[in-house]
Amino acid sequence: MISITHFLVVSAIIFSIGLYAIIAKRNAIMILVGIELIINAAILNFVAFGRYDKLNYGGQVFALFAIVLAAAAVAVGLAIILAVYRKYKTINPDNITDLQD
Amino acid sequence: MTAIANISPITAAIWVVLLPLLAFLIQAILGKRAKSGNIALIAIILSTLLSGVFVFAEIWKGIPRSVTYPWFTIGISTFTVGVLLNNLTVLMQLLVCIIALPVHIYSRAYMKGDPGIHRYWMYLSLFCFAMLGLSISKNLFMMYIFWELVGFASYLLIGFWFTKESAVQANKKAFIVNRIGDLGFLIGIAILFSVYGTLDLVELFGKEGRFLQTLVDQPGLITAAGLCFFLGAMAKSAQFPLHVWLPDAMEGPTAVSSLIHAATMVAAGVFLLSAVFPLFNAQVLLVIALIGVITAASAAFFALTQTDIKKILAFSTISQLGFMMVAIGIGAWDAAMFHLVTHAFFKCLLFLGAGAVIHEMAHLKDSHNLQIDPQNIQQMGGLKAYMPKTFILMAIASLSLAGFPLTSGFLSKDAILISTYEWAIHHGGGYLLIPIVMTIVSILTAFYIGRLIFKVFFGKFRTAVPQVSIHEAGNSMLLPMAFLAICSLFFIFSWNPISYHHAGVFQGFHVAYSFHEIHSLHIIIPIGLSLAACIAWFIGWKWYVKQQYPLQADSTLMRFSYNQGYINTFYQLTVVEGSLRLAKAAYWFDKTIIDGLVNGLGRFTRMLSQVSAWIDTYLVDGLINSLAGAAYYLGHLLRWVQNGRLQNYLGFAFTVLLIGIIYLIFT
Repeated sequence: MISITHFLVVSAIIFSIGLYAIIAKRNAIMILVGIELIINAAILNFVAFGRYDKLNYGGQVFALFAIVLAAAAVAVGLAIILAVYRKYKTINPDNITDLQD
Repeated sequence: MTAIANISPITAAIWVVLLPLLAFLIQAILGKRAKSGNIALIAIILSTLLSGVFVFAEIWKGIPRSVTYPWFTIGISTFTVGVLLNNLTVLMQLLVCIIALPVHIYSRAYMKGDPGIHRYWMYLSLFCFAMLGLSISKNLFMMYIFWELVGFASYLLIGFWFTKESAVQANKKAFIVNRIGDLGFLIGIAILFSVYGTLDLVELFGKEGRFLQTLVDQPGLITAAGLCFFLGAMAKSAQFPLHVWLPDAMEGPTAVSSLIHAATMVAAGVFLLSAVFPLFNAQVLLVIALIGVITAASAAFFALTQTDIKKILAFSTISQLGFMMVAIGIGAWDAAMFHLVTHAFFKCLLFLGAGAVIHEMAHLKDSHNLQIDPQNIQQMGGLKAYMPKTFILMAIASLSLAGFPLTSGFLSKDAILISTYEWAIHHGGGYLLIPIVMTIVSILTAFYIGRLIFKVFFGKFRTAVPQVSIHEAGNSMLLPMAFLAICSLFFIFSWNPISYHHAGVFQGFHVAYSFHEIHSLHIIIPIGLSLAACIAWFIGWKWYVKQQYPLQADSTLMRFSYNQGYINTFYQLTVVEGSLRLAKAAYWFDKTIIDGLVNGLGRFTRMLSQVSAWIDTYLVDGLINSLAGAAYYLGHLLRWVQNGRLQNYLGFAFTVLLIGIIYLIFT
């Protein structure tokens, strides 16, 4: 039987991969992908914990919301990356250091 | 007109003093433009008139008057200035005016063409101001100020020809010797102030010069005060052993010598002692008499062999001042004042006559390019033929100095000598030595002044020149001399040419003698002295005119006299060299010990400050710098975190979050 723990472990692995992508990737697109991975890890948790709410299916409904929100967020993120590319002619976050002192 | 006639004697006396001061100030402002001396002359003429008409005529034998103004207050004692007019002071003031006037007129001719003549008139006015102020001072402190001022004016005038080394030395000497006396005077004043709390002459002695306060419970202090005042008078009046400055003071212009160093300033000591006479007790009076007689004798002895005409007269002045001191010492200060007055006239005249002679000799020297000293009587001789009027005038003055009958000197000198004999007989014993020595001095006086007249005016001219171009002095020099010559005769002072008791000056003072009058002396002494003087002149005539000179010119005694008893040498060896050595020792002490100490302290301080600088640089600053450096490096280290890379920020954020979570888990 597949217990909830298995879902949570998969979710944690996906989260960790997403975190790694955000911190270590040299491409803004890949960072966006990392973000998507983290969102999906969260969604997976929603669905997994949904089994304890068989009355309203709150987990499944929230997962649907979250997928829609993630699609919207990707659209905004891609727009930001485009804008950054127009200004800096690069999407490597290492080269965009305007925040340094 | 009535307004002029109503000037009070006090106001007039103040103006008498202030006019020469005004003249001095005006001439000081005008500087080199005031060449003629008219300002000084006008001032002294007005002073003389005021003094004679409004002061002397009003006060003499009348009621003494005085006025006092407060000057300044220290604590509870107020110092005052004031004018005191009594017989003594008005006589002194008038005398100074009457002597100064002919000297001013004489100076116009005598000093003509001198490049520094504007200074001469200025100093002369300053001197007149100081001397006139001294004569009427009511307050001893005020008197002391004027006393210093006359000394200062005298210093300026002795060094008038300040390019001459000897004149500079002479005025320095006069000033330094006078300082000794001034110090005595000042200490005397201080003692009087501490005992009586006042310096006012009237409060001390009363208007007539009696010592009012009888509460003399400190006789020692009063004796000391008396001696101090006498020390002051000793320096000013050139008494042995402080007389050394006066012969040297002859470096000044002769007219100045006649006014200051023969007639007025040197008599200030006698005047001072007369003014404070009631202060002296028997011991002080004896000291005064002894110093007076030593002075009279030594100066007369030194005068015998001098060759400088002015030095002879200077020693004669010292000798006569000694006479006056003796008169004060025996209590007959009226006789001293009388001799002061008569001496002022004939000694001033002698100097003016000597000045006329020197003037001619200097002209002769210049016109023939001679290498002679125009003041040396060895170079003169036979001037009677060239300068007959000067000869007559000087002869009158000499007779007066020698105390010959019908002259004023006869009256005053007899007054002193007879009083001294009476005093000595009253006391008996060793006291008789004093009048005997003074009798000998009188005869010596006749001899040395006879020597001067014979050497200068008789015989033949001793300087080798092809043609003797000496002639009589001008009228502006002769007239003042003639005036003084008239004043050297008896009738100015007394209608009786034989007895001094009828002299007007005597009747102005009422001095109670401590001794009895001895009538026989009043006949014996004048006759004896006159005879002795005649014998002295006869000897002098034989020696100096007839060339029958019997003495060895180079004997020890002669050299002793010529070198003024080696007193100057003695002072040179002891006081001057001693002072120099002391100064050198003090210099060495200052240079090595004091400076060494200061320099050592300076070096020590420098070293200390170097150490402190090192501590400051390396310890204090080092601490601060290392703190700052540490902060800097820490900041630099943390700065690296702020590198602008979003991923780093995120990584840090997660790390911190992780640490937080771990922390939460383990607690």
